[in-house]
Amino acid sequence: MDKDNILEVKDLRVNIHMMEGELTAVRGVNFEIKKGETLGLVGESGCGKSLTCKAILAINDKKCEAKGSIKFNSDESGEVEILDLNPKGEEIRSIRGKQISMIFQEPMVAFSPMYTIGNQINECTRLHITKDKKKSKEISMAVMKKVGIANVEKRYNQYPHEFSGGMLQRALIAMALVCNPKMLIADEPTTALDVTIQAQILELMKSLQKDFNTAILFITHDLGVVAKMCDRVAVMYLGKIVESADTETIYANPQHPYTKGLIGSVHKIGGNREDRLFSIEGTVPLAMNLPVQCGFYDRCTVAIDGLCNKAEPELVEIEPGHKVACFACNHEGCKAECERARKEIAEREERERKEAELAAQEAALGKNKKKLFGRRA
Amino acid sequence: MDTNTNCNVNKDQTKSWDKIINSLKDFFGKDIVRYIVKRILMFIPTIFLVSFLVFFVIQLPPGDYVSSEVAKLAGEGEYLSEKEANDLRAEYGIDKPFIVQYGMWIRDIIWTPTDSQYYRINHSHHNWKYSFEQKKNVWTVIEERLGITILISSIIMIFQYAVSIPIAVYSATHQYSAGDYIASIVGFLGAAIPNFVLAFVLMYLSYKWTGNAQVGLETKEGVIGFLKSLVIPIIVIGTSGTCGIIRSVRAQMLDEIGRQYTLTARAKGVKESTIIMKYCFRAAINPTVSGLGGILSSLFSGSTVTAMVLGLQIQGPQLLAALQAQDMYLAGSIVMVQAILVVIGILLSDIVLAFLDPRIRYSGGSR
Repeated sequence: MDKDNILEVKDLRVNIHMMEGELTAVRGVNFEIKKGETLGLVGESGCGKSLTCKAILAINDKKCEAKGSIKFNSDESGEVEILDLNPKGEEIRSIRGKQISMIFQEPMVAFSPMYTIGNQINECTRLHITKDKKKSKEISMAVMKKVGIANVEKRYNQYPHEFSGGMLQRALIAMALVCNPKMLIADEPTTALDVTIQAQILELMKSLQKDFNTAILFITHDLGVVAKMCDRVAVMYLGKIVESADTETIYANPQHPYTKGLIGSVHKIGGNREDRLFSIEGTVPLAMNLPVQCGFYDRCTVAIDGLCNKAEPELVEIEPGHKVACFACNHEGCKAECERARKEIAEREERERKEAELAAQEAALGKNKKKLFGRRA
Repeated sequence: MDTNTNCNVNKDQTKSWDKIINSLKDFFGKDIVRYIVKRILMFIPTIFLVSFLVFFVIQLPPGDYVSSEVAKLAGEGEYLSEKEANDLRAEYGIDKPFIVQYGMWIRDIIWTPTDSQYYRINHSHHNWKYSFEQKKNVWTVIEERLGITILISSIIMIFQYAVSIPIAVYSATHQYSAGDYIASIVGFLGAAIPNFVLAFVLMYLSYKWTGNAQVGLETKEGVIGFLKSLVIPIIVIGTSGTCGIIRSVRAQMLDEIGRQYTLTARAKGVKESTIIMKYCFRAAINPTVSGLGGILSSLFSGSTVTAMVLGLQIQGPQLLAALQAQDMYLAGSIVMVQAILVVIGILLSDIVLAFLDPRIRYSGGSR
């Protein structure tokens, strides 16, 4: 594991056990985050973003099963393989909230209505920093002040229903930051807020990141937010990362048709009013019994028949730090990937043909046998 | 000099008065106190409404006690003249219009004046009228069984909660496990088997094993004897309600476990057992606590058949007998007393709820 990296996710797969069968929501995700860096994870609803970040904290539902490797590296605990830990055990609990903490997308339901905001923030410090009640209250109040909650003395003893949405989001951020975590997972932290509050919250997160040198995994489907917040971006589609690069490259030189579509569907200032906003046709298919093909094939405008619908592209590095998984883009790396896929398809078809022949032969034999038996009877 | 100290004392006094007033203000400014006071004030009109309904219902049957008494005497060969009957009516006060009778009933319950004939008979300032059937003051009849009814009902209620809530929490935290299924099956059986059947079975078993069928309540052999005689009633009456509580707490717990704030707490590194007890359980118990009044009333009125089978000397059978004998003041008063107890139960559950859930305090207090 690289020393600069705080988190390395390798070949992460998350299966959901359902009545209808196994749904593979995350299908082999690889990424790493450096210390103090912000990685944006972008994709539309249902592409596996949230499951990925819940897997990092091992707080996924019982029905979900995560496989692969998630390595977390911190000065305090050294290198830890999170998937090996008991999800209810003490070791993972000392990481949650203390070293990796999470901001959830709906602040209105993320707090329990039964306890005061102060109590719930305080709980974090009492668990991880100090058992001393007075001290932990002081720490909590200081952080609340820092995230811009006015009149902390009074606010500390108020209940969630006495807070506005924006204030609750601040409180949620305070709760996530109160133990100075090394890494912060922000799962669409501004989706539930209006635009002005959104901008304030993002500014706040940025300045806090500077203060604490926190690495952030920023999950969103809002490309405007990505441009503002992230150093690097990974675009996810149907449980896989289809393109990753630093933020500028993604906007200036997107390679994957899905990324292009996403960027194209952001409205631009100064654009022609008569133009319709671009949108990607269709919806994400259900990740159950998927055929061997590029996940984006059905919605893609540049798909190559006979290739894209018969093999799945792997991520290839086309220039330093820029990876893409697509057969249809014109780079050396991609062409090599095409060759590999063509070979694979040819091999598979050859194998299938042989199998079919064998099956036909067996069927014929079976018929003969039947004839034999028939005669005997 | 003298005046000066006097002045100081005065100042100190006013200061201390201010202090007291301020602390009172603080106290009553608290949402929870305001809520409780408001609830208690609402308790009074509720009781009056209930009493009015009860009195209306006991007046409904045609005829009155005097006319049925006249008919009875006629059957025995004695004839009362119309005037004598009317005098009797006047004596009992049932010749007056309905609303006046109601007023007198309530007045007599709250404070019977010294010149009333009830006071002359009972020498008490609180009279619930007369049980014609038992030829006694109604309150003396009720009093015989009120204490034991309240005692048994509370013991059964505590039993129900003590058994069902832990089972429900276990079922919810171990959803679809063997234990969960067993708890569900046992619970459903408890709800499905009619109480009196279970009572017969247990009495039979008790007779087989101990030679004593355990009919009625043992009040002469000390506390242990009394508790022993309570075992069968508690199991029989208790199990029927247990299933309902298990199902509702289990469903509510599952709901709360799936909530976002459970996930938030988990992401903070909170222990699983703390999550369950601190966050989920406190929220999940809410509907059960608010159902306390209903459970109380079902204990009072729903256990009559069982009480008769088991020969329990509680109020259910007494009420039934009063209704059969058309002893309307007794029946009405029993219903009234039970209604008051249920309303008190609801009041208690509301207060407990206010402590459990801050949102209830606020919506009920300040607006």
